[in-house]
Amino acid sequence: MNHSSTAEGAALAVSEKSLASGITGRTDPRAVLAARVEQLYGQMWLGILTTFAIGAIATFELWELRLRELVLFWWGLVLLITAASAGLLYAYRSRRDKEADPEQWLRWLGIAALAAGANWGFAGAVFFPSHTDEQQVFLAFLLTGMTAAGIPVYAASWPIFALYAAGALAPFTYVLATFGNRLFTEIALLVPMFYAINVAIAYRLTQVFHSGYRLRHAYGRLTRDYSVLNQRLERQLVELDEARRQVEASGRKLQLFAERAPIAVLELDANGAITEVNHAAELLFGYAGGELIGRHFSFLVRPEHHDEFKARWKRIAESHASEAGVIRNTRRDGIDLLCEWTVTPLVNREGTIIAVVAQGRDITAQREAERIKKEFTSTLSHELRTPLTSIIGSLQLVNTGIVGDVPPDVSELTVVAERNSQRLLDLINDLLDIEKMESGKLTMAPEVLAIDEVVREAMVLNKAFGERFKVNFEMQSGLPGSEVTADRKRLLQVMTNLLSNAAKFSPEGGAVEIALRENGSNVRVAVQDRGPGIPESFRSRIFGRFAQADSTATRQKGGTGLGLAICKRLVELMHGKIGFEARAGGGTTFWFELPRS
Amino acid sequence: MPDRALNRICYVEDDEDIQRIVRMSLERVGKMTVEVVGDPTMAIDAIGAFKPDLVMLDWMMPKLDGPALFRLMQQHAELKAIPVVFITAKASQRDLDELMAMGAVGTVSKPFSPKDLPGQLREIWKKLP
Repeated sequence: MNHSSTAEGAALAVSEKSLASGITGRTDPRAVLAARVEQLYGQMWLGILTTFAIGAIATFELWELRLRELVLFWWGLVLLITAASAGLLYAYRSRRDKEADPEQWLRWLGIAALAAGANWGFAGAVFFPSHTDEQQVFLAFLLTGMTAAGIPVYAASWPIFALYAAGALAPFTYVLATFGNRLFTEIALLVPMFYAINVAIAYRLTQVFHSGYRLRHAYGRLTRDYSVLNQRLERQLVELDEARRQVEASGRKLQLFAERAPIAVLELDANGAITEVNHAAELLFGYAGGELIGRHFSFLVRPEHHDEFKARWKRIAESHASEAGVIRNTRRDGIDLLCEWTVTPLVNREGTIIAVVAQGRDITAQREAERIKKEFTSTLSHELRTPLTSIIGSLQLVNTGIVGDVPPDVSELTVVAERNSQRLLDLINDLLDIEKMESGKLTMAPEVLAIDEVVREAMVLNKAFGERFKVNFEMQSGLPGSEVTADRKRLLQVMTNLLSNAAKFSPEGGAVEIALRENGSNVRVAVQDRGPGIPESFRSRIFGRFAQADSTATRQKGGTGLGLAICKRLVELMHGKIGFEARAGGGTTFWFELPRS
Repeated sequence: MPDRALNRICYVEDDEDIQRIVRMSLERVGKMTVEVVGDPTMAIDAIGAFKPDLVMLDWMMPKLDGPALFRLMQQHAELKAIPVVFITAKASQRDLDELMAMGAVGTVSKPFSPKDLPGQLREIWKKLP
């Protein structure tokens, strides 16, 4: 308690000090001076009027005597000084910049005050010695009165008052001192004291004025500052309100998203108890929202998955990172659901989990469909291959003469039958490859291979196929020693496709030239034919599925129209690229590139 | 490499057409002695009686499939040592790898070439210890 009150006291002291320094800091000395100058000029008309009125009375009083010219001259001076002062006042009033150059205006005022003071001093000095006693009393009274009247008029600047009073009293004092009268000599000694007291009073008054103006100025500044601060606060309040409204709006939007989302969304607290669910979650589990809220999420998880769920929950609690995975859930009616979940913790700035959002999707049907599709493909493959095995096997046994000679006409037909059976088999194999690629099940077995050797092997394997079309495969430029990382069987498949295509479309007796070369960090394998070339209209879809330029070619030359699509995918899976270009002098070059090992 | 040439083959296959083609291929091209078993449930007895150099098993068969039959063979001391080759229409590399992992000495894909089949089997035979 003691401790805190000491602290409070210290805080108060500090705030007082800072208030004082705040006033000083908020005071601009020039602005304060300008305010004082304004005060001085504001009272100037009083001085001018008084000078004129008293001057007129004095002129009238002194008029009857011998020194008429002198009185007239003095009256002229009074008029001149009042006129000049009025001119100065007019100039000050009509200045454009109110706060500019206060020192200069002060100097002008000082000159005017000195002139006015000196004017009275002149009257005292000139008229005092030659006048009657009564008139001397009048003059003395006049001078004293005019000097005293200067105090309020020039109170805002004591040096000006000092100038004014000195102008008025100095000549008079001199005359008194040199008059030769003892009383006058004594008065001459008193006048400087009277002067000093008056200047001292003026000095004090000036100080009071000064601090008054400083306070007024500082207060004005403070008020202005506070009103700026107030405006700023008001603006910030408006902005805050706007921000709050935006947050509310986006909150409503989010809520709407969650409510209408086709996936189940559950909000859980940090312990796993359900705090909110959306409609999809109610549908998924067969419970109304009210039945779910308050219960622990694990009651929706199959008991045999509880350990796994606990482990995952622990991981989220520790890492604060979201978890995704498949969990077997159970519905109200007891039916199992396979659900894919994304569970995201919401963590506040202090690092505490404030809520956990679980988004789930029923993938039971999807998994079942995937399983059926896989089974179907596998069955299709088996069921189609088994009869083909018998057909191709039988025809081969006949065609190779193992079971004895057959008449030439029959042989011709069985060769046709075998060739077409082989085509059917190719089609099935290609379709299976495409299916595998689409389901992402086509796997590669990469190994470091001497590309030159694999290409030569492919040429040997396809030699017989080439001979059917009376086409030779020729190695134009090999690349011994160059190695690539690729799947050997798939690389051979790509080469077989390119070589058989080239053979099919080459003119009889022609040659297909194979060229290997290094291209930067890749090895390029080019298969070049002298065929009819690829029609412009077909070029863009040559690597598409079931792509054949001329459907009659299928019947004439065989092929499924899937070969190049498979090649493209295979080359890409081996991190390479494939393309083609028209060959100078007719024909086409198909090429693929693989990165060098 | 075994000290004798590959001669006696026992083939377990439910499809009669393929049975005929394999038999013709191995007998006529390969000049081998072939015993074909159509019912896999009779295979254990048949193999035991025939005492083949090598057994060829089809994978997909009704009642008892190739891999199951292979495992049964492993339980019989006298059949355990006989090398087994699977002949299958399953095309995926993963399936073939699975068979090799089980202990098969080789695989032949369907459709096969009857002209080349004996050669393929002899290649496998040569590689045996």
